[in-house]
Amino acid sequence: MDPVRHDEFDSQACGSIAPKVKACPRPKPGEAAGGCSFDGAQITLLPIMDAAHLVHGPVACAGNSWESRGTLSSGPSLSQYGFATDLTDSDIIFGGEKKLKDSIDYIAGRFAPPAIFVYSTCVTALTGEDLDSVCKEAAERLGLPVIPVNSPGFVGSKNLGNRLAGEALLQYVIGTGEPEPETVMGVNLIGEYNIAGEMWDIERLMGSAGIAVTSRITGDARYKEITWAHRAKVNMVVCSRALLGLAREMEGRYGIPFFEGSFYGAKETTYSLRQMAYLMNDREMERRVDRLTEREESRLSQELRPYRKLLKGKRAVLYTGGVKSWSVISALKELGVQVVGVGTNKSTQDDVRRIADRVGDDTEYIPEGGASRIIKTVRERKADIMIAGGRNMYVAMKEQIPFIDINQERHKAYAGYEGLLRLAKELAYSLGNPIWKLAASPAPWDKEAPPYDR
Amino acid sequence: MSRDELNIKDNTSLFKEARYLQQRENKKQFEAPCSEQETAEALAYSKSAEYMEKNFSRQNVVINPHKACQPLGSVMAALGFEKTLPFVHGSQGCNAYFRSHLSRHFKEPTPSVSTSMTEDAAVFGGMNNLIDGLENSIALYKPEMVAICTTCMAEVIGDDLNAFIGNARVKGVISEEYPVAYCNTPSFVGSHITGYDAMLKGILSYLYTRSGIESKPGSGAESGEKLNVMLGFEPYTGNFAEMRKILAAFDTKYTILGDHSGNYDSPATGEYEYYYGGTKLEEVPQAANALGTLSLQKYTLKKTQEYISGTWNQQIAALSTPLGITGTDKLLEAISELTGLPVPAMLTEERGRVVDALMDSHPYLHGKRVALVGDPDLLIGLIGFCLETGMEPVHIICSNGDVDYNEVKFKEEAEALLAASPYGSEATVHVGRDLWHMRSLLLNDKVDLAIGSSHLKFAAKDAEVPLVRVGFPIFDRHHMHRYPIIGYQGTLNLLSLIVNTILQQLDDHNSGFNFELVR
Ligand code: SF4
Repeated sequence: MDPVRHDEFDSQACGSIAPKVKACPRPKPGEAAGGCSFDGAQITLLPIMDAAHLVHGPVACAGNSWESRGTLSSGPSLSQYGFATDLTDSDIIFGGEKKLKDSIDYIAGRFAPPAIFVYSTCVTALTGEDLDSVCKEAAERLGLPVIPVNSPGFVGSKNLGNRLAGEALLQYVIGTGEPEPETVMGVNLIGEYNIAGEMWDIERLMGSAGIAVTSRITGDARYKEITWAHRAKVNMVVCSRALLGLAREMEGRYGIPFFEGSFYGAKETTYSLRQMAYLMNDREMERRVDRLTEREESRLSQELRPYRKLLKGKRAVLYTGGVKSWSVISALKELGVQVVGVGTNKSTQDDVRRIADRVGDDTEYIPEGGASRIIKTVRERKADIMIAGGRNMYVAMKEQIPFIDINQERHKAYAGYEGLLRLAKELAYSLGNPIWKLAASPAPWDKEAPPYDR
Repeated sequence: MSRDELNIKDNTSLFKEARYLQQRENKKQFEAPCSEQETAEALAYSKSAEYMEKNFSRQNVVINPHKACQPLGSVMAALGFEKTLPFVHGSQGCNAYFRSHLSRHFKEPTPSVSTSMTEDAAVFGGMNNLIDGLENSIALYKPEMVAICTTCMAEVIGDDLNAFIGNARVKGVISEEYPVAYCNTPSFVGSHITGYDAMLKGILSYLYTRSGIESKPGSGAESGEKLNVMLGFEPYTGNFAEMRKILAAFDTKYTILGDHSGNYDSPATGEYEYYYGGTKLEEVPQAANALGTLSLQKYTLKKTQEYISGTWNQQIAALSTPLGITGTDKLLEAISELTGLPVPAMLTEERGRVVDALMDSHPYLHGKRVALVGDPDLLIGLIGFCLETGMEPVHIICSNGDVDYNEVKFKEEAEALLAASPYGSEATVHVGRDLWHMRSLLLNDKVDLAIGSSHLKFAAKDAEVPLVRVGFPIFDRHHMHRYPIIGYQGTLNLLSLIVNTILQQLDDHNSGFNFELVR
């Protein structure tokens, strides 16, 4: 099972502030760019479902973002609440620290959360609000962790925000608690956010192999479980290079080995489970994993048969962030779908290398964005389907291109063996829907050919 | 594949299975160390009158806001003009939010770009970003006009848009003639509606001034018979179509100032274009010569109205969203007054038909207690509609309601409207409050129906009140914005939406002996 991981020329986390090689590239002014660091930090921490998340800034950042992500919770829902200090012009001039303090007090008094995360935004970072000291003072006074997240939008991309959130966890959360003595320690899942319930599928698989989850960082997490993440035996970084720094730091501080893996596709899933057992250094567990993965894979290949027939030779353009590109390529390949174009806009060099390992030479790399660029690739490469994030969906519809949403808004869980089955089904549905025929044929009295034949 | 060959469960049914329920149970050990009883008590307390009082004395934190920020409105306003690219000067995140927000509501793409300011821009100012941004976006998206608005970040560091655009011209990035309109829209002031207003005024005044035309209201055979119409921050593309239908019936010429309906309701032709429809740029200076201007959102369009009546010296008829029979009557009277044309018979007939429909449904509406959330002009329209159908508005929340027009504040107008009707006697109007306040209201003083945006669904669910989705944003239902809610036809749509929700409730909650066929 070697190599455990590659520590190669570009192994620094994406979003490093001082990158040696190309880290997450910054968007060009004048383009339709993705989310900001604030957004990225929120995305990482919001799935801590029982904590309160307070946005310190004008209503923009919170008002535009609350409750718009599909990270599912199996219990508490405090994280769904949109808390904001809603700064107005006078707060900008005279300072909003009093407001922040009052807000924290109110939330602590009313909602009694196990912790409060406080996010800075562009405005509060620029006006120089002292988030750290307000949080520190409140934490001491209230006897409650109040965690500043210094990730204002302007410092950079969403990925950098993920990373800064990871740093906040390292600094304020991990290592501050201890599990019950009888708790079995196992793996921390880092960078898995339980979108559409994917975490639950993964946990069930791990459960069948007898691998315990120590902390979820952060899908469907509870604050407390993250405080003892330092007791885990293994860290797995799931599909998020931005949190590699977190894993590396935990290796240094606590000696927890880590690996990067994914649960998209049967091969990757099997690899990830094996890797866990291997790093746990438990022969019996390794055998259990082997039995489980063999069983699951053979069942899956039975069940996939009708879909494979349908999907064989279909061509897809994949436009999604970072790591997901290469891991989803693996999943698609297993289904017989050929990836003819792939977005590399958020990928690091290492990601790109992994993409190259998985696709053929005639795959086009789409380095930067804009819907038109993606559409062009779909047309030129005669792709049958586009797999991308929600923001590009409506453009695909305009162009009458079958589409699957793979990003954070997705409502379907694609992780694990069952996830691959769901992906196959979605692909078959999307490609086979009768609407495409209807859309491509002109009105009966309109003899002109449609703009594209496919 | 025409049918399911396999039964793959979706997440809703899947996670109800025993193995997942077990998993969930196991996880409880990590949760805040409260017993179930404590949790239940806290929940019950949050629904109590005592807590409501505490909730309403809350000063410094907003919980579940019901407003968006100024630049979001500006982006919508910019999309109302032909081949115009909305351009957000600030860091990248805001623009990403605006695009997904608008796209999720309309289910259409939103072309809009950002200057993607970063730390160096925070220190040295955003001029280079703005100039580079103009160069890049014009090359990429080939707009015929760029409409720039600021975010809070650009405002805090004090970027001077006028100077920056001037420098872009000096540097030759854009030609002297290339149109670039702009407005200042910090997020810490106002809301999406004031941002809409700022951009609309910005575009109108910019295009007018540079044209060199001197406004002569009502002048010229061609332009003289024309009317300007503004719908404002309009989340319904169907309302544009309804307005067109009404104006066509009057047989008057008109210009819609700011028409984003094309952008947000374009046909599937197999080819995506960045720009669909919108007010033509050359129509704007001509609009200065119109007979008068009709505004359908008087609170939203305050500054634009002042500009038009001031600089263009035009007669203004400023209404709130024309909902219901009375609201639509006012609209038709206003058109008639501005143009001197009589109300066409066709509309009178339509009115009769809708009055008939309202009569058919009135037994189910009478006495129904409703809660309302929305923007000020929409709320004025909705209150009017409720009162004329015998529904009783009880709780009204307008987060961005601290606006006035001609020195009458929204709250005063709403309260006067309610006071004039016996059905309004129980109502209270809250401005500057959020949806967590609404939750307390709904739980402590029950209503039959809540009317508002998708965001209201959390509070409505807690209080077990059915929600009729009206306003912005509507994320979780499809195609609502394609049906007009203004005019007589819109009144009919609104009526069916409401009355059928009530009838559905009757079916859902019937006690067995009143599950009837005919209603
Ligand atoms: S870019 Fe700044 S102001 Fe905009 S949403 Fe992000 S944090 Fe808020």
